[in-house]
Amino acid sequence: MNLVRAELERLTARRFVQLMVVLLLVAFAVTAATTLAGSHKPSTEELSRARTQAAEQIAQLEATHDRCLAIKAGTVQPEEHDYVPKDCAEVDPARMEKLPTTADYLSGVFVFATEAKPLLYFLVAFLVLFGFLVGASYIGADLNSGGVVNLLLWRPRRWAVLGAKLGTLLGGLLVFSAVASAAYLTVFWLIGQTVGHPGLVNGSFWASLGAQHGRGMVLVLLAAAIGFAIATLGRHTAAALGTVAAYVVVWELGARLVLQILDAARPDRWMLSSYLGAWLSGEVEFWDNHACQGDTAGFCEGLYTLTWRPGLAVLLGLAVVLVGAAFAAFRRRDLI
Amino acid sequence: MTAVIEIAGLHKAFHSLRQGRRVAVDGFDLLVESGQIHGFLGPNGSGKTTTLRALLGLVRADGGRMSVLGASSPERLPEVSGRVGAIVESPQFFGNFTARRTLRLLAVAGGVPTSRVDEVLEQVGLRDRSEERVKGYSLGMKQRLAVASALLKNPELLILDEPANGLDPAGIREMRDLMRSLAASGVTVLLSSHILAEIQLICDHVTIISRGRRVAYGRVDEVLAGFDQHEWQVRVAEPERAVELLAEAGMAVTVHPEHLVVAGVDEPELITRTLGEQGLWVRELIPLRPDLESVFLELTGTTPHPAVPRQVDGSVRPAGHPDDVVIDLDARENQEVDA
Repeated sequence: MNLVRAELERLTARRFVQLMVVLLLVAFAVTAATTLAGSHKPSTEELSRARTQAAEQIAQLEATHDRCLAIKAGTVQPEEHDYVPKDCAEVDPARMEKLPTTADYLSGVFVFATEAKPLLYFLVAFLVLFGFLVGASYIGADLNSGGVVNLLLWRPRRWAVLGAKLGTLLGGLLVFSAVASAAYLTVFWLIGQTVGHPGLVNGSFWASLGAQHGRGMVLVLLAAAIGFAIATLGRHTAAALGTVAAYVVVWELGARLVLQILDAARPDRWMLSSYLGAWLSGEVEFWDNHACQGDTAGFCEGLYTLTWRPGLAVLLGLAVVLVGAAFAAFRRRDLI
Repeated sequence: MTAVIEIAGLHKAFHSLRQGRRVAVDGFDLLVESGQIHGFLGPNGSGKTTTLRALLGLVRADGGRMSVLGASSPERLPEVSGRVGAIVESPQFFGNFTARRTLRLLAVAGGVPTSRVDEVLEQVGLRDRSEERVKGYSLGMKQRLAVASALLKNPELLILDEPANGLDPAGIREMRDLMRSLAASGVTVLLSSHILAEIQLICDHVTIISRGRRVAYGRVDEVLAGFDQHEWQVRVAEPERAVELLAEAGMAVTVHPEHLVVAGVDEPELITRTLGEQGLWVRELIPLRPDLESVFLELTGTTPHPAVPRQVDGSVRPAGHPDDVVIDLDARENQEVDA
């Protein structure tokens, strides 16, 4: 516990950590200020007009559905511009993921319900970068400068020292990320309430936002653990940065290009970025260029889906392997 | 006497792709007993720091046994680490922290009462500069801080690698006094240093390492006595006649421009009587005792030779080892003559 206290103080006192926090606050302030400047409280007339437009749009969707059912029943003859799917449920407004709302027809108004997810993605992206860089530099700088050696002269238990550092990093990062994201969303919620529009903020909205937030926090912790592990293995912060840069250039760009040239099936399955996207957004769809080969009969839906489950398995597996390797290497390593 | 540090047959080799295998410590032995101020000497690259790092669990030994305060190292080192204060080479501190904060964090991490921080700052002379950031410290001040960190635990055993590094003359004297007062209070000190005069002044025991092996150990006076050739520097009015008389009396005499050196004489009266009986009066008679520096240079084969740059690995490896690469001093001298 004493070790964790001391490590927490060292972590928060690091200039790099302080700089990243300041950068986050600046980005936060700029985003909030531009949102404030670009939004206004909708007038009663604007709201009324938007409500009417939304209602008209819903009515039009219902009419399309009714016409589809009528065409299928043979009571109405289809016209040239009519879209008649195999199953009219496809155009049933009741089954649509999202119906037009008042907020969709408000121009120049910040709508919290619409903007919350993209804003949260931005925050998560920043925190992932923050976590990775802080995780890598925290141990990298200590290994490089001899700080770890100093600590081991006091506590000659290598796993305990490294574990305390990793635990402090992840714990501190989780608290910081939770507080930052809560403050961030609260500010934009207040903007929506005061100089914008809250939009449709119901239980399912908060549940969806909460799930996205939870997945984002896990990703932040995984990024920090991976940065920490690679820097431990490479004994330097630059090792983590170099590894990520090399991976992106060699594999995500180079290998993807080669796989495309070779016409390999489902190349996205081999890319970490696919699993990262799947985890963060719940699921992602990719085009399978082999699925429709030889299908000349008509419509072929050559898509395949990656869900959050394989996304989590791959990212967690990678983090566990790297952290395990880092601990194993650190236990046996000569600290000179 | 209780053994505080015991090292027997320590082996350590480093491997690298470019340079292959490099033996750093090759069957080294060390014994430090309770209450000693033990000097640990060796040329650059001789294995001193590797030995200390292995003892403190920072590098893995390839062979041999080590124990600290009765606990085998590194396996049981955590059991005694609270009683061992150590600095190895020049420790690095977090530049943005003040000295006080640095020590307080170490105290917190090590479970030491933070009240010790002020005590050790006072001891090493950093009390008035303790609120300054470490990055603004001079090398000597950083060294004082390092010693303070080692003292924080109120250790029974203090292992200091080059503690006088960067200190000014007054600082070196203060460090010497500190070591003495610690030893007087019962702390055992293992001190590695290149300042041989300091070691001779401070330490009661010494171990000398060369090319990873022990070449001398024991009480400082005993080690020096082993190299005492009982030489005397003599000044007389008629040196040529004095040489004849002393040689006739069976003494080995070497003529120098300003004086004679008479070797192999235990009692100085023999010289004065031999010369005095023939009417030659001795103007000056000085005993030439070996100092630690000359013994060190001889034992490690690192005596500088004019116009022959010495390489860091050019020290002597003790004979009797299968891989003996004993430095050939004769060859070096011949090389010098050729040059």
